[in-house]
Amino acid sequence: MNKRALWATMVIFVALITGLFIFDVANERSPVLGLDLKGGLSVIYATTEEADADDLIAIRDLMRDQLESFGIAEPDVRVEGENIIVDLPGVTDQAEAFEALQVSGIVELRPVLQCQQTLPPTETVPGSSLPGSSVPATTSPGASVDTSVPGTTVPESEETAASAAGRSPVARGRFLAPSAAPVTTVPETTTPVDTGTGTDTGDAGETPPTTGAPEFGPPAPTTTLPPDTTGQITAPNQDGTELCVLGPAAGTGEAFERKSAAVEIDLQTGGWIVSADLRGEGQLAWNSIAQQCFNGLPTCPAAPGGRGRLAIVLDGIVQSAPTVNAQSFPGAVTISGDFTETEARDLAQTINRGAFPVQVEQQRVETVSPTAGESALNAALIAGLIGVALTLLYMIVYYRRLSLVIIAGLAVWGVLIYVLATYISRETNYAFTIAGATGIIVSIGVTVDTYIVFFERLKDEVRVGRTLRNAAPRAFNATWKTIFAANFVALLSSVVLFFLSVGSVRGFALYLGVTTICDVVVFWFFTRPLVFLLADTKWFDSSNPKSFGIGTALGGTQ
Amino acid sequence: MSVTEPRSGESTPITVTGADGRSSIGGMPIARTKTGRLLEGQTAVDFVGGRRFGLIASGLLILITVGSLFIQGLNLGIDFTGGVSWDVPSENGFGPADADEVLAQAGLSTEGARIQERSSDAGEFIKVQVGDQPEEVGTQLRQAFADSAGVDLESVDVNLVSSTWGSEVTSKAVRALLIFLALVAIYISLRFEWRMAIASIIAMVHDVLISVGIYSLFQFIVTPSTVIAFLTILGYSLYDTIVVFDRIKENEARFGTTKPPYADVLNVSMNQVLMRSLNTTISSIVPVVSLLFVGSFLMGEDTLAEFAIALLVGMATGTYSSIFVAVPLLYLFKNSDANWAGSRNSPHVIGEPLREMVVSGNMSGRRARGRAAVASQQADAVVPSLTGANTTEQAKVALSHPPRPRKKTRR
Repeated sequence: MNKRALWATMVIFVALITGLFIFDVANERSPVLGLDLKGGLSVIYATTEEADADDLIAIRDLMRDQLESFGIAEPDVRVEGENIIVDLPGVTDQAEAFEALQVSGIVELRPVLQCQQTLPPTETVPGSSLPGSSVPATTSPGASVDTSVPGTTVPESEETAASAAGRSPVARGRFLAPSAAPVTTVPETTTPVDTGTGTDTGDAGETPPTTGAPEFGPPAPTTTLPPDTTGQITAPNQDGTELCVLGPAAGTGEAFERKSAAVEIDLQTGGWIVSADLRGEGQLAWNSIAQQCFNGLPTCPAAPGGRGRLAIVLDGIVQSAPTVNAQSFPGAVTISGDFTETEARDLAQTINRGAFPVQVEQQRVETVSPTAGESALNAALIAGLIGVALTLLYMIVYYRRLSLVIIAGLAVWGVLIYVLATYISRETNYAFTIAGATGIIVSIGVTVDTYIVFFERLKDEVRVGRTLRNAAPRAFNATWKTIFAANFVALLSSVVLFFLSVGSVRGFALYLGVTTICDVVVFWFFTRPLVFLLADTKWFDSSNPKSFGIGTALGGTQ
Repeated sequence: MSVTEPRSGESTPITVTGADGRSSIGGMPIARTKTGRLLEGQTAVDFVGGRRFGLIASGLLILITVGSLFIQGLNLGIDFTGGVSWDVPSENGFGPADADEVLAQAGLSTEGARIQERSSDAGEFIKVQVGDQPEEVGTQLRQAFADSAGVDLESVDVNLVSSTWGSEVTSKAVRALLIFLALVAIYISLRFEWRMAIASIIAMVHDVLISVGIYSLFQFIVTPSTVIAFLTILGYSLYDTIVVFDRIKENEARFGTTKPPYADVLNVSMNQVLMRSLNTTISSIVPVVSLLFVGSFLMGEDTLAEFAIALLVGMATGTYSSIFVAVPLLYLFKNSDANWAGSRNSPHVIGEPLREMVVSGNMSGRRARGRAAVASQQADAVVPSLTGANTTEQAKVALSHPPRPRKKTRR
């Protein structure tokens, strides 16, 4: 190995890390501490109507999912009495956290009665929205919270309707029953037009032209459409290009299996589709309304395509209003359309969120003191430092001059961890918690082990009679494979835990993964050049092996 | 960890005692004390011969663990079980210390309690939460808190609290674990072999089980931090086992042609990595012990103990299981393997011949050992127990390649 290259590697690496560290110190940037260490905000929610314990638990889980999908890490969500309490760690962007929590309305399924273009005819496709449109954070005042499902009775013939015709070619903005093109032999439903649904009102030209609608952003639904008392609402679509009169809610997002909505690529058309599973009770409600739309009944009149449309509404905004292309949907639904990936993901997220059984609203915000507190962090730091000092003392006794490499390597590693922890906790919402500290304390041992494996190997090579200069690259090559394999498994555990678990486990996994990567990086960019260079100096003369811990126990001279 | 060195002399001794009473192998002097031999990597512990010790001890520990889990279960904290919460106004100077006192007077453990200061537009208050208490406790202590805080009974809110760590979190973590196990099994199977994958995963499960068992046995409170510590152990255990297996794999490749008994490969590898295992254990455990004693006991931060105990137990068993569980298992799996079956019935070497193999890094197959035995018998016959360098060389040549002569270094 070229000496100059080794020097360059080491110097550049150390300079880079030192530079970042100085930048952090100069700007007084330090890791953001988590809820347990620093305290944070607590938001208290209450349901707007009676909810039983199961509903509250469901809301708790949904809220946590929602926060995490917005990148707010390690929220502490629990049910207390009738309230739901969300403890947020010192999130960097509190507005973002509130935004994530504010859109906690329920998703409704409503038949589309009539739609009106509010802009000069553009290429609006039903069921699609303009790119970049995320779920608006504003709760529209016009959103009625009508969760009453009409008492529809659906014949039990959904399953029989499924023929094995395979998935039909996907059209734009359509609900398709996956895996089955329904046969039309389903008996006519006796769908009751109950509670005065006001089917007449939907037909008439009640929607005056609303040319003044804003082009972008969710327009306030308090448009010129007269409100009615029959459970109908008028709602714009996401980009405000269309204003629809919607029938009463035929079901809520609870129709969908929790967290089942996923984005897929349709293999036939290559377009993005959203698929979701229906669950037991929800399936009945869904199929009931779907059938009405499919047949173009007055409760869900046929759109120009010949089929009725069913809207997915959140907070008074039509998220998607595809035409219904099947009589019944045995178990699952796919929505296809001219989606971009983002749009499809937004829609899937909306459907997933839709499982809120009841509406919740924010009651108050409290500040929270830490449970562990900075004293715990300080104690952990002091104890950790004492532990590291003792470990290093042992290493000095055992490895003599080689221990210099360990001390320098650990120092570089520590600074790198600090820099990265600062970056991560500031740029993401993964604040530094006791869990993260656990990961780091454990990784001290694993990091020191890297040196131990290396040096034990080095000593073996020297014992066999090699010079240190000769032994160093050989030992490194052998060790590198071992270290890489072992650290790879550690990294694997972090990655899997990070992507598949929730809450504090994720924060821990993140920090453990970072320390593992740092270990390998420091080993390659710092330890390797340092040992190679030192092995070539007189100070590390292999004629005196005791100076790096070989033969110290033999006594006497050889 | 106590390992006894086997007595030498049961097999043909190859180590030669020099005139000054010092042993040496291939010109390398052998330390006279056990510690010295350990430090110099000159041990000759018969790990394979003592495999039953490890398997039986671990079996017993797991039996105790399962028994304890079955009988008394785990002492789950408030995050898992939910509990009771009081909101006590702190306008009259009620503080966390007072809350502690009220709890202590009521005979409730403050260990699992969570006490927070909170403030909102409505004023400041202390939120006290304790886990898993009957509902009456809520009303009983409401009066006590109201008295202590000097406020009306009505100003103290009592509520039942749900768990924050619901079944969903657990099921997600379990799913993550299963996927992780599958990936690890695939990776180790590809990088090493499937038997090693099984052995290392069993060793890992063993470590986590025993750590959980300690929490059940002593009824330590399990918090989310503890669970995280358990997950850490999982990674650490695998890490440690892989380092050991890597050496075994390397020696397998190196001696694949000479075909010594598989036990020899294991014994040599284990003795070669023994010092590394000890060093790693020390350097990993010292920070955790420091956390437990300095941070938790001396500085009184109980939260640190929540995971320090789990980590301590997990790391100790992690190193232990790599040597005493994973390797014996590997021996069981592999000894009957066709590749190593040739010498299955020949006994593995112990004592000085093992030391010789450990130190020289060379291993002999059956044939080579036969030659070595002849050579050393000849040597013994010529000069019994007092031999010079000659015989050493003779025995050594029969056993292995001598180290390459040192080349002159270029400057």
